[in-house]
Amino acid sequence: MAAIEVDQFLPRLPGQVWRALTDPVLLARWLMPNDFQPVPGHQFTFRTEPVPQHGFDGVVHCQVLDLEPPRRLRISWRAGPLDTTVTWRLVAEGTGTRLLITHDGFDGRDPGQQTVMGILGGGWRGHLLGNLRALLDQVPGQGAS
Amino acid sequence: MAAAADVFDAIASPVRRDILDLLRQGDRPVHDLAASFAMSRPAVSQHLRVLREAGLVTEERVGRERHYRLDARPLRTVLDWAGHYAQFWQHHARLLSELLAEDG
Repeated sequence: MAAIEVDQFLPRLPGQVWRALTDPVLLARWLMPNDFQPVPGHQFTFRTEPVPQHGFDGVVHCQVLDLEPPRRLRISWRAGPLDTTVTWRLVAEGTGTRLLITHDGFDGRDPGQQTVMGILGGGWRGHLLGNLRALLDQVPGQGAS
Repeated sequence: MAAAADVFDAIASPVRRDILDLLRQGDRPVHDLAASFAMSRPAVSQHLRVLREAGLVTEERVGRERHYRLDARPLRTVLDWAGHYAQFWQHHARLLSELLAEDG
């Protein structure tokens, strides 16, 4: 399935990173204000600025789907037209932790999302963003950069 | 300017994406596009109509032929959209890294 994946090395052991992911106060400091609780099935929200042009009212509706301390946390992520899931995986690496963030499930009913995620996942000869930039760079005064 | 939804719909079709790729190399007449895709002219014309309505191609009559030219500007919407979520997580992953470093 097409997904956005982000990979970040963090200079702390998995236990400390896990705390930053599952303590609502710490979570608010790096992500968004929330009423998260580290309990499977718990329903909560993140709150941020609305983005009306994307049909987003500023509230992300979530539920804890999977909780496996200190290795894996998976939540549902419903925001405006999105009905997706976010998974955080923690892998010990030396004196720190590699955090792997996967945001997937974009292939919902909305054709725009399907298209974009399909392309991000390798549809347009594997390089949507490169292709779009190349196309836009051909338009005088309309370069993507 | 076409609505964003039209642009998404326009590039949802692999054939239409291929047409856009071909037009990057220069303007083309309809019969040339039809030959490139082994499709009937009406079928290609239908795809070109969708692209035209999304503002992605423009049409010009040259003699008895219609020539099509790429106008990539509406794709900026798609670029912005696609980049949004990747940037969101990259940004917040950096904030987490900074938070953990300062709480040392």
